[in-house]
Amino acid sequence: MKKIQKVLNRLKVRISESSFYSTRGAYGEALVELGKENQNVVVLDAEVANSTFENEFQKRFPDRFFEMFIAEENMMSVALGLSKIGYIPFLSTFASFLTQTFDQVRMAQYSQVSKSGSGSLNIVGSHSGVSIGADGPSQMGLEDIAMFRSILNSVVFYPADAVSAKKLTKLMAANKGIFYLRLTRNKTPIIYSENERFKMGGSKIFKLKTKNEKLKILIIAAGITVHEALKAQKELIEEGIDALVLDCYSVKPLDEKTIIKLTEEYKNIIVVEDHYPYGGIGEAISSLLVNNLQQRITNFVHLCVRKIPCSGLTEELLRYEEIDSEAIIKSVRKILL
Amino acid sequence: MLDYLLDFVTLKYMDEGKLREICKKVRYEILVSTTNAGSGHPTSSLSAVELLTTLFFRGFFDKNDKFLLSKGHAAPLLYALYSALGVVPSDWVNRLRKFGSPYEGHPVPKLDFIDVAAGSLGQGLSVGVGMALGVKLRIKNKKLKIKREPKIWVLLGDSEMAEGQVWEAMEIAAYYKLNNLIAIIDVNRLGQYGETEEGWDIYNYEKKARAFGWETIIIENGHVISEIYRAFKKVSSGTHASKPKMVIAKTIKGKGVSFLENKENWHGKTLDKKELRLAIKELDK
Repeated sequence: MKKIQKVLNRLKVRISESSFYSTRGAYGEALVELGKENQNVVVLDAEVANSTFENEFQKRFPDRFFEMFIAEENMMSVALGLSKIGYIPFLSTFASFLTQTFDQVRMAQYSQVSKSGSGSLNIVGSHSGVSIGADGPSQMGLEDIAMFRSILNSVVFYPADAVSAKKLTKLMAANKGIFYLRLTRNKTPIIYSENERFKMGGSKIFKLKTKNEKLKILIIAAGITVHEALKAQKELIEEGIDALVLDCYSVKPLDEKTIIKLTEEYKNIIVVEDHYPYGGIGEAISSLLVNNLQQRITNFVHLCVRKIPCSGLTEELLRYEEIDSEAIIKSVRKILL
Repeated sequence: MLDYLLDFVTLKYMDEGKLREICKKVRYEILVSTTNAGSGHPTSSLSAVELLTTLFFRGFFDKNDKFLLSKGHAAPLLYALYSALGVVPSDWVNRLRKFGSPYEGHPVPKLDFIDVAAGSLGQGLSVGVGMALGVKLRIKNKKLKIKREPKIWVLLGDSEMAEGQVWEAMEIAAYYKLNNLIAIIDVNRLGQYGETEEGWDIYNYEKKARAFGWETIIIENGHVISEIYRAFKKVSSGTHASKPKMVIAKTIKGKGVSFLENKENWHGKTLDKKELRLAIKELDK
């Protein structure tokens, strides 16, 4: 028991030591903790364990780590089989390569992998969005949110930092059903403290005080764009604009209550996401707003990936697709005009 | 887990005559249920009647084993078998494909003996790989002392052998030495329309399966119970301890009804009342 505590402490320190840490790194750490806590946690990999950081689990629990090689469709159905024998499978590869497993996930939903059913499928897509940069569009998961949102009873998480990534990974293990966790390649700043709590259908508000309120604006972001939104917020606050940032880490279910409540006060909304326009967070939010028309939104801006991306630096791509802090600020100025 | 199979020891000694009777009953229910439903796949069900009847009624299938129907459209065969086992009430033949009934067009886990949904071809063997891995892991980690390792049986259609995922599963099953995984291919030659990619070339399937690291057993006539019995006996004893096993059975689509046997344009088609009467007469002969 002492030994376990020691390992846990070390892991905790590792995340908090540096202010930048990748969500995929946090996922890898969460798996190791879960491996210790629960004998039924098993991990499947499509030969990218050193990229998704499943390799730490592999080292510690070789019996419960299954290398499935680059055969993603098979990996998804194998995970379903393991879950039906009573295991809690986590499987991961690049978000882009999960798209070929859609039929397998679709069939899993008819196999009573649900909250009330038997079995769980914890799917993890790393390297999502244009933010991966140099590797180019073939490696960028840009349809994954749409795909996993479309499964009737699925849950979709998209953490912005290592703390939330780790906690959401653990939340997945503790619940039944089909879960999708979207991860980012790059190291991102830690924005949450260790005692912060995360839940299905939750969100986090970042509010800064302003002197004179020229405009009230709600910026809804998730994952990498949360950091862009926070950057924009700093500048906008200086200009006397009350820019509130919402980390929409639970993409499905959405934190409907909080969002609707906020729109009572904030009539200008910008959604910014590293995903194609169709089926992503922007569409999720807009359908929520349409169902609550009494809120009378003045402006709704959806910043997302609208051009076929290419290789480049993260900053270059975020700028090219107009989903960086500059693009957010530009949209606010347009609203002000 | 499956209490009704507890007496599988007695099943072991069921004679061939009795097995023939069961096959007849299973065929009867396949035909009646699909005609009642007005849709379904009777011919795809009929080709594997002897294969599965021998599996379930000659003591090969243990209560701790798992069976996966990868060719999900043969669902009537599954229901008819469990009806013969006394698990499914015989009135299921009036409820196939009906709203609110658990006897859906393709299997869904609304019945105890169905673990996963089937009907999107090519996925069953992968699910079987997951179960076979899980069973081995459980035995190892819990240090269970068991006489007989539970087996995972998967019935595949020959058409779905064209799915890439099947071969992904075959590779990984050999890699993990899943000798508790047994696949049975029902090679009935015909697909939705016309012949399958390989037709009746069971030896080509054998060559490929062997190249993928599987032990193979050929059944030249998948309707001769003694031949099926020998094949299952062989895969159950496990001559190649470390290999997954593939039973390749040559069968006839629509077997048992002369005007359906090996005929094109009968996939996913049911008999009308008049045709059903004729078919039942043939079964009774």
